[in-house]
Amino acid sequence: MTMPPRLDVQNLQSFFFTRSGIIKAVNDISFSIDPGETLALVGESGCGKSMTALSLLRLLPEPGKIVGGEVFLDDRDLLRLPDVEMRRIRGNDIAMIFQEPMTSLNPVLRIGEQIAEVLRLHQGATKQQALKQAAELLSQVGISDSKQRLRDYPHQLSGGQRQRIMIAIALACDPKLLIADEPTTALDVTIQAQIMDLLLELKQQRQMTMLLISHDLGIVAGNADKIAVMYAGQIVEAGTVKRVFENPLHPYTQGLLQCIPRLGQQHDLPTIPGQLPDLKEQMTGCLFLDRCPGPCAPCGNQTPQIKEIEPDHSVRCWRY
Amino acid sequence: MLEILILSLLEVKNLRKSFRMRDSLGRTSGQLVAVNDISFHVKQGETLGLVGESGCGKSTTGKLILQLLQADAGQVFFSGDELTGLTSRQMRPYRRRMQMIFQDPFSSLNPRMTVGAILREPLLIHRLAPASQLRDRVIELLEKVGLTAEHEQRFPHEFSGGQRQRVGIARALAVEPQLIIADEPVSALDLSVQAQILNLLQGFQKDHGLSYIFIAHDLAVIEHVSDRIAVMYLGKIVELTNAKELYKHPQHPYTEALLNAVPTPDPDHPRPAALSGEIPSPVNPPSGCYFHPRCPYADSICRQQEPQLRETDMDHLVACHHTDQVGRYRLT
Repeated sequence: MTMPPRLDVQNLQSFFFTRSGIIKAVNDISFSIDPGETLALVGESGCGKSMTALSLLRLLPEPGKIVGGEVFLDDRDLLRLPDVEMRRIRGNDIAMIFQEPMTSLNPVLRIGEQIAEVLRLHQGATKQQALKQAAELLSQVGISDSKQRLRDYPHQLSGGQRQRIMIAIALACDPKLLIADEPTTALDVTIQAQIMDLLLELKQQRQMTMLLISHDLGIVAGNADKIAVMYAGQIVEAGTVKRVFENPLHPYTQGLLQCIPRLGQQHDLPTIPGQLPDLKEQMTGCLFLDRCPGPCAPCGNQTPQIKEIEPDHSVRCWRY
Repeated sequence: MLEILILSLLEVKNLRKSFRMRDSLGRTSGQLVAVNDISFHVKQGETLGLVGESGCGKSTTGKLILQLLQADAGQVFFSGDELTGLTSRQMRPYRRRMQMIFQDPFSSLNPRMTVGAILREPLLIHRLAPASQLRDRVIELLEKVGLTAEHEQRFPHEFSGGQRQRVGIARALAVEPQLIIADEPVSALDLSVQAQILNLLQGFQKDHGLSYIFIAHDLAVIEHVSDRIAVMYLGKIVELTNAKELYKHPQHPYTEALLNAVPTPDPDHPRPAALSGEIPSPVNPPSGCYFHPRCPYADSICRQQEPQLRETDMDHLVACHHTDQVGRYRLT
C-alpha cells in the first residue's frame, strides 16, 4: 500500500471531567482506514466506541473533552482546525448516520426540506436544485415515488424507510468518510439485511471510506474489511476481519465470539464472567484482568501495550 | 383433545385481539388485528419460542395469556382451567402461577423502591412468607440470580442493565410460578451479559421444571433456548414445530427468509440475503396470504386464497400453499 490512509487516528484521548472523577472514555486509541475501506469498531456498551466517533467530529457532549492525539483526514489534522472550517467538514467530508432514525430526523419538517437543507448549506444549491437532487438521492437509496415522498413527514414512514432517508442525507454531499453508528440496531432482521446491502452498494459506487460502529459481530463479519475490538476505552485487538475472526488472540475477543448464540448449535453458552471496570478509578495493569480466564505475572502491575503479532493483526495482552 | 389438555400447562385456542384505530379527531379510522386466530399449547417444563418482527403480535399474545388484555375471541386454559372471562379477583390465584419478565430492565423496576422492597412486594401480596422469614427469603432470591445480600438495600439506578434484569428475574421467581412469559428478556443487554442471563433462565428451568414462553425477534437466541418455536407474521402463526426441525427444514418462506437474514459471525459465510419489501401495515393487510407481496414463491393462488395452518409432517404446522418448494433459497 503506497496510498496514504484516508483517516489516520493517533493516540486519541477523550476524557469526561465529572464531579465524581475523570472518566477515560477514549484512552489512547490509534487506527487508520485506507480509502474505500471499512473499519468496524466493536465492543459492548460503555466501551467508548461511540465517543471515539464523536471525537472525530469534535462533537463530544459535555463534560467530555478531547485531551490529546491527532485525527488526520487526508492531510488535515481535524483536532487543530478552527471551528469554522470544522463545520464545513461535518456533513460535507465526513457524514454520520445514527442508530435511531426517528430521533435524528426533525419531526416537523418534510423529508424533502431536510435533505435539501444539507445541499443548500454545503453546496450553495438553490431551493429548486436542492429539491431535485433530493428526489434523485431518494431513488438512489431505494425509495419509490421519490417526488411524492419528499412531501412526507418522518412519522409517515417506517423505520427502514427513515434509515434510508438518513442515508440519503448523509450521502447528499458525497462524503469521503461515512461514520455509521449502529445503523441497523433498531431495525427488524429482514430490513437490517436490506439496509446493509444498500450501504455496501453505495459505498462501492462512490468509493467511500466507512467507519462502522456495531456491537453485532455478525454484521461486522459480513460488512467490514478491518476490525478493532474496544474494551474500557482501549483497543484490545485489531486486524483484518478474516484474521481476527479466524484466530482471535485477546481473551475478550475470544469470549465475545464464543458467547454468541449461533443457529443450528444448541449447547450451553460460555460466558465472560464479571462486568466492565469502573473507568473512574485509577487502574494499573490490564483493564481486562478481573474477567480474564488466564492472567499471567505482569498483568496486575503493568499495562500491556498493543503490539503486532502477525501482519495485519495486533493485540494488547501480556500472553503474546 | 382431552389428552392435550391434561398434558399441557397452557392451552391457547383461536385467540384473537384487535384494536380500534382513531384519527386525530378521535374518529374510528380502522381496525388493527394484532392477534388473528392463533392456537398453541405449552407443556410442563417446556420452552415455546414466539418469534417475529415488530408488529407481528408476539407481545400482545403474551399479554392476552396473562389476561392483561381482554381477547375479542378465543380461550386460554391454564392447567385445564379457563382463564378467559375471569374477574380480576378470580384471576388472582393464577397470577401467582404465571409471571412475566420484561425487555427493559430500566423501566420495569420502580426507581423509588430498594431491590429488597421490590422483591418483598410479591411475597407480601401473595402471603408467601411470614414477616420473620421475609428477609431470608429475599436474600435467598438474590443469591439465586447471582446477586448478594448487600444488594438488598440498593436502588435500581445503582445497577447495570444485566444486574437489573437479574432483579426482574428474581421478582418473577419470588412467587414460584409454573409459567414465565419472558418478553425480549435479553434484547437490551450486551452480548456477554446476554449469555449470562440465558444460562440463568435455562438453569432455573432444569431445577424447577418451569415452562417458558420466550418472546424475541432474534432467531438465533430463540433457537438456542426453545424446544418448540412458533413463527408469527402480521398476527398469525405461519409455522410451528420443534427447534431443530425449524432450523433444518423450514417449510414457510418467511421462516426461511428469517433464517437467511441472521448475520453469521464468520467472514467466509455468505452475506445475509435481504428479503424484498417492507412489513405491511396490520391495519390494511394484503389479500390472500399476508406474506405474498414479499414471497419469492408466490403465485396467483397466494394472492387470492389465505392458506390455513395444517400439519405437513409429524408436529410440523405450516400455513403456506407451496410448502414443498420452500428451501430452494436457503443459505447455508
